[in-house]
Amino acid sequence: MNTTRHWPQRAFILSRALSRAFSDTPSPTFPLKHVTRSNFESALVELRSHVRAADFVAIDMEMTGVTSAPWRESFEFDRFDIRYLKVKDSAEKFAVLQFGVCPFRWDSLKQSFIAHPHNFFVFARQEIPLDRTSYEFLCQTTSMDFLAKYQFDFNACIHEGISYLSRGQEDEARKRLISPKGDQLTHPSHNLRETTDLPLVRVADVLFTERMKKRLGEWRDDLLQNRVGGPQEEKVPDDLNQQFRTVFFKMCPALSLDGFTSHQLSLIRMVTRKHFKDLTYVCFNGESTSEELVVYTDSESDKARLMEEVKNDHHRRAEMKINAAVGFRHVIDLLSSENKLIVGHNCILDIAHVHSKFLAPLPSTAEEFVSCVNKYFPSIIDTKILLNADYTLQRKMKRSSTSLSSAFSLLCPEIAHGFTRNVLSYEPCVKVEVHVDEMRSSNWNSGAKHEAGYDAFMTGCVFAQACSHLGIDFQLHSPSENLTQNEKLQKHMNLLYLSWINGDIIDLRTGNRSAELSGSNMIRKPYRKILFKNILLLWGFPSKLKPSMIRDCICKTLGPTSVICTYGIDQTAVFVQFSKAELVSDFLNLKETLEQSNDAISHLHPLSQLLEGGNTHAASYETYKEICASPISKVLFADQAEAVGIKWKTELLPSDKEESHDNTRSHLESAMDSPQAVEKSKSRNTEDVVNDSSNKRFCDDIIDSFLKVEKIRRTTNL
Amino acid sequence: MVALIRRRFFGTKISPNSHRHKLQWSVKQVTKSNFSDSLQEFKSHLSASDFVAVSLQNTGSFSAPWNRVSSFDSPETAYLKVRRAAERFQLLQFAICPFTISGSKVTAHPYNFHLFPRDELNIGMPSYSFSCQTSYLTAMARQGFDFNACIYDGISYLSRAQELAAIVRMANPINLNYVVEASSSPPTVADTVFVERVKCRIKHWKKSCIDSTSKKIDDALVKSLQKLVLGGEQYGSRPCMTIAVCSERQVQLVSEMLREFFDDLVALKIPTKGGGTQAVRVVLTSSKEDKSLLERELQNAEEEQNKKMRGFREVIELVSASQKPVVSHNTLNDFSVIHSKFIAPLPLDVNEFLNSLQSNFPLIFDVNHMMKGIGPLENVTSIPAAVSHLKNRFFAPIEMELSHGALLDESKIHGQTVVRICYLFAKLCSVLKITPGSIQSSDGKVLDGYANVFRSCSGNSEESLDGGIRIWTNSPRKVDCKDLVFLWGFRNRPSAGMLKSLLQGSHDVFSEEFDVCLVDKSCAIVVFFHPNLSQAFLDVMNSEEISGSLKELVSEGLRAADYDTYKRACSLGLWETDLASSLDKASATPDHLSQRDPETKPAEIYWCNDLIINLDDL
Repeated sequence: MNTTRHWPQRAFILSRALSRAFSDTPSPTFPLKHVTRSNFESALVELRSHVRAADFVAIDMEMTGVTSAPWRESFEFDRFDIRYLKVKDSAEKFAVLQFGVCPFRWDSLKQSFIAHPHNFFVFARQEIPLDRTSYEFLCQTTSMDFLAKYQFDFNACIHEGISYLSRGQEDEARKRLISPKGDQLTHPSHNLRETTDLPLVRVADVLFTERMKKRLGEWRDDLLQNRVGGPQEEKVPDDLNQQFRTVFFKMCPALSLDGFTSHQLSLIRMVTRKHFKDLTYVCFNGESTSEELVVYTDSESDKARLMEEVKNDHHRRAEMKINAAVGFRHVIDLLSSENKLIVGHNCILDIAHVHSKFLAPLPSTAEEFVSCVNKYFPSIIDTKILLNADYTLQRKMKRSSTSLSSAFSLLCPEIAHGFTRNVLSYEPCVKVEVHVDEMRSSNWNSGAKHEAGYDAFMTGCVFAQACSHLGIDFQLHSPSENLTQNEKLQKHMNLLYLSWINGDIIDLRTGNRSAELSGSNMIRKPYRKILFKNILLLWGFPSKLKPSMIRDCICKTLGPTSVICTYGIDQTAVFVQFSKAELVSDFLNLKETLEQSNDAISHLHPLSQLLEGGNTHAASYETYKEICASPISKVLFADQAEAVGIKWKTELLPSDKEESHDNTRSHLESAMDSPQAVEKSKSRNTEDVVNDSSNKRFCDDIIDSFLKVEKIRRTTNL
Repeated sequence: MVALIRRRFFGTKISPNSHRHKLQWSVKQVTKSNFSDSLQEFKSHLSASDFVAVSLQNTGSFSAPWNRVSSFDSPETAYLKVRRAAERFQLLQFAICPFTISGSKVTAHPYNFHLFPRDELNIGMPSYSFSCQTSYLTAMARQGFDFNACIYDGISYLSRAQELAAIVRMANPINLNYVVEASSSPPTVADTVFVERVKCRIKHWKKSCIDSTSKKIDDALVKSLQKLVLGGEQYGSRPCMTIAVCSERQVQLVSEMLREFFDDLVALKIPTKGGGTQAVRVVLTSSKEDKSLLERELQNAEEEQNKKMRGFREVIELVSASQKPVVSHNTLNDFSVIHSKFIAPLPLDVNEFLNSLQSNFPLIFDVNHMMKGIGPLENVTSIPAAVSHLKNRFFAPIEMELSHGALLDESKIHGQTVVRICYLFAKLCSVLKITPGSIQSSDGKVLDGYANVFRSCSGNSEESLDGGIRIWTNSPRKVDCKDLVFLWGFRNRPSAGMLKSLLQGSHDVFSEEFDVCLVDKSCAIVVFFHPNLSQAFLDVMNSEEISGSLKELVSEGLRAADYDTYKRACSLGLWETDLASSLDKASATPDHLSQRDPETKPAEIYWCNDLIINLDDL
């Protein structure tokens, strides 16, 4: 305790911020309110009242990492559902180290916002043993290094971070801590261990039981005599005294059992139950230790009362323990129950972390996720959406980047740099006064970037400023008025970037997704419409091949205009975007054919360069989704595909035309007469071949398929 | 006055509290800042010592209870479990201690290196990400571990395999003189034309270079224009020219031509990111001295680069090169980590791993295994327990002398374990009447029985390479893995005893002696002490004739699998939380493992009744 308490005091040393280059009058630099295990209880009480009074609450977090593998980064070629899978993977694997919460309240007297930045250190410990599985999380080396560059205090986090239980874990803990043991205490007969009498096999056990029976009997008799005949001389020998101490438990005389093994204790328990109607065996869980007692009760009703009390005690203690273990989740519950407007910056990942850590495991689709989030947090605003969606704000931002720090310094220069634009102050800045404990300042800047509490504060400032640019006048704002109902904010409400790279936006209320309005954002070029049907996934090709070479290679085979572009996922995998959807299945069929035949032509084929090494896999876009959905994360995509359990080398697609006629493809395979082909390729239709092999049709199909192969050969020779 | 906190400048300082161990030794703490100095010191200590003790601190060991190496593991499965942990978790502290035993005196030089897999070269190595077990981190925190020091200042490293990949990836210029050997094939016409053309170009360029330096052009504009026209570039302060090549053959030709005609030029090979050669850069030097100066510079730069890449691995290389015996407490765990982080990714096959290890560390001692040599022990798994056990039973005074003196500075507490290992090893040598000096000479056969024995866990000396020792506590029975059956899918999480009594009446196979123990909450192992009964049981489970209460159990969901299924689950990497789901998946996948390796030798394990899992790893 001594040492762990060190840090806040230690940090109370006066120190000046480095960079006050701009300011004539340095802004006061007191730090954020750091919250750890030691001051969590009191901070939570304060935060409760701040949140209750707040107009909106800004949040931010620091995590141990973002992507579990390079190919899990966000790509242009990620479809909507894939983007969610990537967010989900990240939130499930990495841990939250810091959680910044900053309630903002408009003070109409001071004509300023009052902000209370809180910086919670979070670290999930196993405070209640739920099951034997361990808590485990992933760290991305570069993220940890990034945090270290900003002097993140890992010690404070791991030594003193606040633990938490998710809702699911809390329920589980309740089940475990309260019901079974409680039953065991009150109804010993219900416990299985109790009903099955311990078989007294060993002589030692028999002797021990007899001795205990005698001792307990003596003790009880003593008690009764005492009660009748007043004080008597202590008869119990000393060595026995150490193990049996007479104490009072809930106003009843009791024997405290000390220094017995668990086996001996269970024997004593059995003896008590079997031979003494007026004695009860009680296991009393104290603060840190548990105590074993044999309690004397006068009557059955007395006994019942005692058991009831023990049970209640136990419940209360378990309840307190669980309540303490819920820990940081109290903050999340607070934000949810107060129904305040939550403000974040590019916060889909943050919200996903909140969902997976505190509410429930993330669902498999974005739609389910969104509806669950909307239930707990009905109004969320993303400042990044706000900044990009509105024309006036776009102009304000002078088309610069909408990263949090640049938005902060552009929109809130007074706070960011500690100076007023006296020349250009044609527009007033929204004032923000910061309160941390008893300290307050109207131009506060702790300068601690990438500290969740400070980032939350910046987000809140940006939001307040953006609101004022949108024409929301806080001065006319009455406390009763709710920001969540403000019509000027409505069109930005509950919209999140599912992926910033693609400008894909999801609506939390409906689950609808939309592309960013191209007109509103002038920074970015309009997005190309991607037809995912036209995309082929290739991996495991020879490592010397670059995406451009692969493109050339395919163009030589399927025609110079066949490939629109290739896009490298990592050094082992690539997307090929074809001009037509049929080309995907054409390519897959051709690849399969080439790999089956072993003649000279196939070796001279332009594609053989791509297939060299015999480990080149090809599949449609759906396989990419399957691979992304897997909980495994290998660093290289090719290794990941193998780990996911993809055994075939070419995924053959049932193309629509063929399907309507006959299963040409699968018949082609059987025509090739190679059992491996069936095994290797994920062919859904091989069974059909077996089932309906009416000879005539079968022959026709073979001819068909040969014609098809011939056609492919001809096209390739071009 | 307003108290101002600037935590950012005064990160939490951690000082070890309550953990006052009886033995407090001062261990030299090494981070990035004092690494190169400490390395020199370590080098001299190492060369003066007879043994090296190592002890590792990882961020975790097993994700689910059954992922832990247990007494029912064969060497293969034990290795696969350890392999998974080594790949998944990160090494944060590497305590290493060269020591010498002379009589009852141990001279030890303990070092504790703080490691962090920082991507120093920005190439995604040594590790993209790693897992942490919260229980490990909190236990480390309790011991006063300074995570800030570790993450801010930990030493990075690359394994040998990663270094090779990095050299290719970094594509640094390499001095041609060292790389290219003389060509063997006679030059073709095309070759001659190419060489002549290049020679002409170089001559022309060289002449203009010399002219321009003599003429002294001051005008910057003229200078840059000239540079443009001549295509000349600068390499440091010296002029240089780049010759594009399209094959290794051409590199060779250029190099030969340069050696023949120009002795004031240094040629550098510019590799592509993929590993081929992109171009040859020719640097003009002003004199012989200047040339050797440049060559030295290049060499130094390369060494500097290599040193930077190797990082902490330098220490491992030193130990490996010294061929000194290495002592550790849990060799299988420690050396799988050492192999995967500093040598190469761990192979799938345990024998391949052992061979690779053997070539790098010829002599490895496991103190835990040596403990077995002094007789049956109960639950002496931790080092302090072993030390006190020996103290109580034997008179073998050991005097420790440490290079860094007594503990003065509290921050030097980390890495104590490694000193304890030295101490324990010396004591064991004394108790077992082994003269450590004789180990050095090759005829010292005394310790041979203890060297290179890889134990998977207590009670399993099956893995000894040379037969090992067969004494063990509680007279565990040697059991063929074939006689083990994994059972899962029972309801209500019964205890082992209940399960045993359930099975007892269910079928004839259970009329003979058998035993049951729980692996985790989902799965149990049944061991048949009579041969062939396991197969009979599995056959019954799969047959139509199943009847009675066993049928009832199977209808409730009871499933059974043989040891091979378990092996397959491990080798396919099906590390689910519950063993039951892993076995379910493994039985669903076709058995290609046994086909590949038809003559699997019958593996045996030692069966002991209590498979109690010790959680005192920390």
